[in-house]
Amino acid sequence: MTLPAFLQQCVLGLTSGGFLGLIAVGYTLVYGTVGLIHFAHGDVVMLGGCLAVGLLSLLAPFAFDPLVGWLMIVLVTISCGFFCGGLNMAIDRLVYRPLRQAPPLAPLVSAVGVSFILMNVGLLWLGSTDQAFPDLVTNAGSPALRSPVTMADLVVLSLVLPALIGLAILLQRTRFGRSLRSVAAVSRVTTPTGGADQFISATFFLGGFLGGVASVAASIHTATINYQMGYQTGLYALAAAVLGGIGSVPGAIVGGLLVGLIRAFSTVVLGPRWAAAAVFLVLIVILAFRPEGLFGQKRRERRPA
Amino acid sequence: MSGRLSDRWWLANSWEPAVFGLLAVAPLIIPEFAGGLGGQFTTVMILGVAALGLNVMVGFTGLLHLGIAAFLGIGGMTLAILTVPTNPLEIGFLPAVLASVGVTAAVGLFLGAPTLRLRGDYLAVVTLVFGEVVRALLCNLEQITGGMQGLGPVPPPGAGVIVGGVDLGRSFIVDARWFYYLALAVLGAVVLLLRGIERSALGRAWIAVREDALAAATLGISVTRVRLSAFAIAAAIAGLAGSLSVASLGTTGDPNAFGFNRSVAILCAVILGGLGSIPGTLVGVAILFGFDIVVIPWADGWLQQLQPPTWRTEPLSLGSWRLALVGVALIVMMRFRPEGLVPSRRLAAELHEARQ
Amino acid sequence: MMKCRRRHAVGLITVVVGSVVVSGCLQPAADRVRIVSSLPRTGVAQQVTESIVRGIRLAVDDAKSRAGRFEVEYLDLDNASAAAGRWTSEGEAANARRAAQDPEVMAYIGPLNSGAAQISMPILNYADLLMVSPANTAVGLTKPGLGMPGEPAIYRPSGRLNYIRVVPADDIQGPLAATWAYDRGLRRVYVVDDAGVYGRGVASLFADRCLELGMQVLDQVSIDPQATDFKTFVASVMRADPDLIYFGGTTRTKGGQLARDLAGAGCEAVLLVPEGCFDQAFIDAAGVAAVEGRCFATVGGLPPESFTDRGQAFLRDYRDRYGLPPDASAIYGYESMRLVLAAITKAARKDRRAITDAALATHDFDGLLGRWSIDTNGDTTLRQFSVYAVRDGRFVFDETIPTTGMGDPGDSG
Repeated sequence: MTLPAFLQQCVLGLTSGGFLGLIAVGYTLVYGTVGLIHFAHGDVVMLGGCLAVGLLSLLAPFAFDPLVGWLMIVLVTISCGFFCGGLNMAIDRLVYRPLRQAPPLAPLVSAVGVSFILMNVGLLWLGSTDQAFPDLVTNAGSPALRSPVTMADLVVLSLVLPALIGLAILLQRTRFGRSLRSVAAVSRVTTPTGGADQFISATFFLGGFLGGVASVAASIHTATINYQMGYQTGLYALAAAVLGGIGSVPGAIVGGLLVGLIRAFSTVVLGPRWAAAAVFLVLIVILAFRPEGLFGQKRRERRPA
Repeated sequence: MSGRLSDRWWLANSWEPAVFGLLAVAPLIIPEFAGGLGGQFTTVMILGVAALGLNVMVGFTGLLHLGIAAFLGIGGMTLAILTVPTNPLEIGFLPAVLASVGVTAAVGLFLGAPTLRLRGDYLAVVTLVFGEVVRALLCNLEQITGGMQGLGPVPPPGAGVIVGGVDLGRSFIVDARWFYYLALAVLGAVVLLLRGIERSALGRAWIAVREDALAAATLGISVTRVRLSAFAIAAAIAGLAGSLSVASLGTTGDPNAFGFNRSVAILCAVILGGLGSIPGTLVGVAILFGFDIVVIPWADGWLQQLQPPTWRTEPLSLGSWRLALVGVALIVMMRFRPEGLVPSRRLAAELHEARQ
Repeated sequence: MMKCRRRHAVGLITVVVGSVVVSGCLQPAADRVRIVSSLPRTGVAQQVTESIVRGIRLAVDDAKSRAGRFEVEYLDLDNASAAAGRWTSEGEAANARRAAQDPEVMAYIGPLNSGAAQISMPILNYADLLMVSPANTAVGLTKPGLGMPGEPAIYRPSGRLNYIRVVPADDIQGPLAATWAYDRGLRRVYVVDDAGVYGRGVASLFADRCLELGMQVLDQVSIDPQATDFKTFVASVMRADPDLIYFGGTTRTKGGQLARDLAGAGCEAVLLVPEGCFDQAFIDAAGVAAVEGRCFATVGGLPPESFTDRGQAFLRDYRDRYGLPPDASAIYGYESMRLVLAAITKAARKDRRAITDAALATHDFDGLLGRWSIDTNGDTTLRQFSVYAVRDGRFVFDETIPTTGMGDPGDSG
């Protein structure tokens, strides 16, 4: 592999890894606080992408300048963040909260149910085929520019990096962030008191918000969107969360970047059809040696029913 | 307490033969069972067999498994490799089914051994990942598996055998009732087998390990061996279901059908019905897959026939709402019966004691 | 009627199930025939099957729901499942057995996917039921010696023919596409396929012909149609510097996504796709800018401008009824149903074998795309292919590929 090719795959791997990491944080936060694999998270992200397509198609005619287009994307990203955060919070409120005392696998089934419903909403919203994500600034100038970094990658980074920095500040500097870290590190909240409920809601909102940001980044990277994107992207993000150690926020980010890089390089080295197998094989190997993942803490045993 | 429990006993013991009897008689009365209806029921019953296998892991032994469909795929692929006419082996249906049960049991052990020290959700994730790896391998090892095109045609049981003027192979292919009865018989046999194991020392050991592995170990139960046995038996039953499914379709089809989606759907059926409960598992499968595979196509066909032929717009269809309907059903049922529709007697007893 | 009454005596579950049956057997059926279609009506292929079914329904209505003395009833069956989001083997097998066992059913239109056809063909073959596919193009389904070993005999266990397709198979499309590329002076070819029965088949036939013509096939690579994007793969395509990229696959197996990623990476090579990508959904997925002026599709038959009178009437009727122009799928759906109706009229009795034989004997059929017959393999003799280009965000007719010189690589250059 030549050096430019190597750099190009690195850039592609890291940008896709960036938004996978943001989605993985959503899985990790929810798992850390309520001990649930939030299967519907990928589909929440998918609906964020739907909203972004809708809003950007409305705004596209006014994007006469790449800068204006970029501002629109930022605006839409924030709206999608709030949309996904709110949606995530509502899912917790309506579906998971009544099941806090139920046998541990009951919320899992409900999560699958929510995922089905969200996919159906996406199906009715988008139709069954891929839809192109509107180009605003993303392809401006990129065909001529034969550098390893395309405009789309820059836009994705300009969305992912601030989100990561914001997340880091939140975790380091705020009381909520610090309690999130400790919760994720120690044990899940078991007593559903009023304060705990608020805390859980806030966690779901944060996970959803990051997912919303990631949804726009992912849509720009993929350049299309379809109703099954939540399932596919969600599976990789879940793998990333586990790879990093589920419950650990930095682990989720690192896991995301690793998954992105493995995907990028396995495509070139082994062929495009082996990317999924490569990601999951690496995960199996790592778990065989470090069952708690790269950054995870040893957890106590949890028994299903 | 005894009153409630004996009620459940009665439920478990006289409903089951009644339902099986009804299933056995229905095709004789309703001619549609020879066609699509029989095929749909066959699919549901085969998924029922797979769900019973999963229930051994998740219900009896308490090990969350998210990759059961991989064993369906391995079992089906083994059968296909050993029987398709384009391969030199062609060992015939019955030996191939036995072989695929053996192979899946071995793969189950192979997966189980290194993952024994993983517990709870990590085990779940490893099984999920294993399932995806198997799916990818089935898709990509084209020389062996036929890739995305699958392997086929898989000859039906009794291909070329003519008994009393009836070509058995042809009957299996044309008339869905043959596979229907085969699947029903396998389902019945697996239920009886698991009933037997449930009451045996092994079954009690599974549950002891599920309830408290440490305590079980102090009682002299080898936790490792007990867990491994659950891995192997669950995998073997799923492999049996997979080989039956491939035989009834005549091809392995696209291996993507053995992915995470199907694993999760089977798991949902088990939890929906009631973990650790054999009738519960069957009820869960009947509701979840019965709805998706039997009821919705039927309802759509009925809606089409209701509408006059001059109708100008497209007929109303439930198809596009299928996912949401299943999703709402899952959420509502978990909201009101989080322990499942027919919880296991033991679990019911525990809940009952807890209330007192 | 006796049967209906007895059924009501059976228990609750059976009643629920039985009502399907009851609704079916209320009317006496001596002068009624039923035609079913089996297509993936939910999930990723919904749009394309919507077009096919529209075409089918239009054909039924054009015939005023009659074929000779028979009243025709059409039933639209789904071979997909919600959970899978695509066609399933179970769904296709169930539909085939249902049709095989229902004595009212006289023809089976479908399926969409060649992989699904491999499942239903042996079942319907034993049942002697006429099967007309509006979409399968894998060569092995009908043509001896071109597919896998044993094909197509393994799909015909009874030894008789019952399968007909109204679309030209890939052994015509793939090589013609290569000829077209050669004539345009394109020499460096990169072949991508979706690893499916259809996509792999047509791509390989294309690549073989390219080699025969002395073109340079840089590589043939299969993508994973489950992947979300192909950016990392496209980067390696670009490094090979092709001047033509051929994608063997369909819109449902991510053709649009591939086109979009190629454009996103600044690829300026020509993109050539087979009929499976010939729909508006492909352009919607790729984005107009990605395919405008540099994406071409090979499509069976002649363009609407050169349609027969019948074809012009079809275009008008279709647009009046559905408010949009028909795509290729709608045309083939319409043709399938017309072929079936003609066969039933010709056979003039409710006998599956007679109807199948009548359909197999179809000669000089006055089709929308010109006159065609059914050959001894059950294939259409339609060999005309046109090339469509993307202009102004739509596929528009570009040229017809001359079929002369087929079979002799030296001639076409």
